[in-house]
Amino acid sequence: MKILTTHPAADPAAILYTRGTVDLKSGSIRLEDVPCRNLEDVLGGFGRSFQLLAERRITHAYCEENPLIVNTGLLTGSTAMTGLRTYFSGYSPIKGSKKGLPAAMWATGSGNFGPRFKWTGLDELIFEGRSPEPVYALVRETAEGPAVELKPARHLVGLTSHEKMMALRREYGEGAHVAAIGQAGENWENVYMGAVALSTDNQFKSGEDKMRFAGRGGMGSLMGYKNLLALVAQSSDKMKPTSPEVKAVNLNVVKGGGSARLQPISRGGGGGTWAAYDVLQAFHAVPVNNFRPQGDDLPEKLCREQVEGQVVIRSEACYRCGITCHNNIFEKLEDGSAGRFLAKFDYEPLNLLGTNIGIHDPVQAASLIHLCDNYCMDSISLGVTISYLLSYNERHPGSRLLNGALFGDYENIRELVVMAGTGKLPEIGRGSWRLSESTGETSYAYHVKGLEIPAYQPETNPGYAWAIAGGHMSMGTYGLLTREGKSDMDSWVEGITRTKLQIVGFDMIGLCKFFDITKGICTQMVVDCLKSEFNLEVTTDELAAAVRRSFLRGLALELRQGYEKAEYTLPAEVWERRNPNIRLPEITNQQFLAELQERVWAVFEPELAGLLPEAGA
Amino acid sequence: MQVTVRLVGVFRIDRFREERRCYPETATVRDIVCELGIPLSLLGIVLINGSHAAIDDQFRDGDTITLLPFIDGG
Repeated sequence: MKILTTHPAADPAAILYTRGTVDLKSGSIRLEDVPCRNLEDVLGGFGRSFQLLAERRITHAYCEENPLIVNTGLLTGSTAMTGLRTYFSGYSPIKGSKKGLPAAMWATGSGNFGPRFKWTGLDELIFEGRSPEPVYALVRETAEGPAVELKPARHLVGLTSHEKMMALRREYGEGAHVAAIGQAGENWENVYMGAVALSTDNQFKSGEDKMRFAGRGGMGSLMGYKNLLALVAQSSDKMKPTSPEVKAVNLNVVKGGGSARLQPISRGGGGGTWAAYDVLQAFHAVPVNNFRPQGDDLPEKLCREQVEGQVVIRSEACYRCGITCHNNIFEKLEDGSAGRFLAKFDYEPLNLLGTNIGIHDPVQAASLIHLCDNYCMDSISLGVTISYLLSYNERHPGSRLLNGALFGDYENIRELVVMAGTGKLPEIGRGSWRLSESTGETSYAYHVKGLEIPAYQPETNPGYAWAIAGGHMSMGTYGLLTREGKSDMDSWVEGITRTKLQIVGFDMIGLCKFFDITKGICTQMVVDCLKSEFNLEVTTDELAAAVRRSFLRGLALELRQGYEKAEYTLPAEVWERRNPNIRLPEITNQQFLAELQERVWAVFEPELAGLLPEAGA
Repeated sequence: MQVTVRLVGVFRIDRFREERRCYPETATVRDIVCELGIPLSLLGIVLINGSHAAIDDQFRDGDTITLLPFIDGG
């Protein structure tokens, strides 16, 4: 970026970002410096990409006019801890309105790709059209600035995401990091939930498939449609020395309250992944068998103390991150030492490819997660679509679908994952919304606005309805009832319309949510980082306003893509078949939801006017 | 007075799952947390008889106090 001002909110045009535009059809590539229109453009991520998406009228995700936008955030590649994010944006093949129009989406992940991409000198790469042959994009740092090339990728076809990454790393060496799709994305016609994997140093050093993922919304499938199998970013390490100001911030991130719960237990932390299991189980709110907790102790079979007896758990971290939130699972050998790497246990995949499909054996759950990761699918969409199918089969013993799999039926579920990942099972690969429409039984398909919900019971989070890019990470209300005990209407309206939407700030600036998940990016910590890294003077109010505008722009874009207000709701089973086992106040009956909808829209609606440009194409 | 203290998740490590314990009439949840050496940075939720409560809330004889870690998403 070229920064020619100290006041980005007042004078955004004095900040220029470097954009590459690749026409995949012709192979032409254009590089340009683009002046920022507003603070959202400066911050980056979806704050910028959604403004570009809003300029286009897209009626089908798989069309040449639908771009794939790859960008970073302002603090990606900086010395601020967790500054590793890469964003992938486009109109989604899986999320869409009932009118049949695709929704704009972004997905994001950490790993080392983001910083390497940024250090080449590029801030954004837009892929237009579709390549006639499989290609990968090579982005390099040169003496003249960033260079972008398209390379033939026939040799990568059919490889897993990890195999593609290892092959490209062997070719380009130490300064290279990779973003790649797996077989799922390659089979985009039948798999709408393809993810993009991002390589890590740990992966390349160990040879183990420890990638990170930009999972949500099928951005890997869009990449596959474009015949773009991977991106390689090759640059020197440009991490500059950390200033005392940023050091103080980083220390606060690691030692402060923000991340303590994510740190390993051995360091006095909460251990990450399993805190959600422990807490939600206390309320009998851990999703079980397609989001129907049974009021028993079944979920405890995948709690840490049970898992520890069967596998070795190692706490590891992203590159130069002190939070150490990864819980990597290894085979336990006879002498108790660690054997083969099995999978990374995050809460969502563990639950949705474990407890919520009736799998309570950690090694089996790890195997399913491992497959999902290597075919490179969104574990949330995959797990929830499978749990829908299993629920359907349980309800229809005489006419089961597909291979007749039932909850806990590991072998058959494994077969579903393999077939979905290789594009042979569109019923699963196209997601729960389409599958449930085909069966005619939609009430227990656990998606909102066409996108599967994460592993928090909808009974605990009516805020899902207004999440703009995935159920919990784009609307931070998932803990409002469980953690904060809020069950009154005012708190929910305030949470959805003001405080909890601020979580999407992390999807602009390049930081991971664990930087400060409770407070967001509108804090003195972020202000200090921006001042120290770029000499930018920004206030927390300016940041909050930019985040709010970006969120509202996302909401306005949903409405323009045909969403009706009736679609801002939860799966109907929540009120049609109330679950008495969940020990929390009931806030998802129809009366509560109706009032919530009325009051939330009363706040949002007046602010939506004028946020979107006229769509061109 | 006697209360039941329930611990959840990591708070059980080197402590207990559930125990009957004695506290003075004026005690608050914070007194329990401090006595048990639970780091405040890890404490996410306090329940008194199953309802959400604050750390400085008092409790009554016979109550059940549950201490849960933070839940963070992801």
